[in-house]
Amino acid sequence: MPKRKLTLKIFLFLILSDVLETFHQFCFKKSALFEEDPPLTGFYDLLLFFKAVFSSPFFWIGLLSLIIMFIIWSTILSKIDLSMAVPIASFSYILVALVSILFLHETITLLRWMGIFLILTGVIFVSVSSRVKESTLT
Amino acid sequence: MKEGQLFILSLIVFTSLCDTFRELFLKSGVNALNQFNPGNIKEVILFILKLIRTPWVWISLLFGFLSLFIWLFILSKVDLNFAFSLDSMHYIFIALASQFLLKEKVRLTRWVGTLFIVLGITLVTLS
Repeated sequence: MPKRKLTLKIFLFLILSDVLETFHQFCFKKSALFEEDPPLTGFYDLLLFFKAVFSSPFFWIGLLSLIIMFIIWSTILSKIDLSMAVPIASFSYILVALVSILFLHETITLLRWMGIFLILTGVIFVSVSSRVKESTLT
Repeated sequence: MKEGQLFILSLIVFTSLCDTFRELFLKSGVNALNQFNPGNIKEVILFILKLIRTPWVWISLLFGFLSLFIWLFILSKVDLNFAFSLDSMHYIFIALASQFLLKEKVRLTRWVGTLFIVLGITLVTLS
């Protein structure tokens, strides 16, 4: 398999998939959010839970953006290595954290922010290692 | 660690493994096709048609749906930012799988990055 370059076009597609990733996670969270915590003890409860989830429009909007993301993602993977594509797509960690605070009223402690930034640092390291690989090849 | 958190944690590990299999099978499916140069919308549609006729892609979708069902259950139990941060553990699985199954070259820098991700996940879990 030949090494393939990360172009601006692919990069923009990756950003688009970031946005879709965050959006569909938000929709799924909304569809699984109930006034009261459902008692999930048996199989029947589980069926009732999924019935409630699937009757939420948020679930279907989320699924639609997931499908669009899947198509974009397939296009990206035909162009660059998986271990290069996945890290760049991961800026959605920040996006999801922000959406969680702004729209889902979740709280993120300092320790958790540190964790999220460590994850991002890891992701940047991984991306840089792709660039180093390319420049030494050309 | 709160009561029941270990259960949710193991479910997140399970979905991350499903996600890894999903990506691996999708990549195998895409690798089986010729390289794709999207010049116009017709080529994009042709590519998608070719893609959905590849068995690997169907296996990938199967793992995707399995992961989705469990994910919805997880989201009903814990905060989105918590679950989503922990879901990053699939990078670790993907780095391992890229190296050993897809035979892509995973460099030292990338392993260092993977270590940071592990540390980040640990902090989020402890928070």
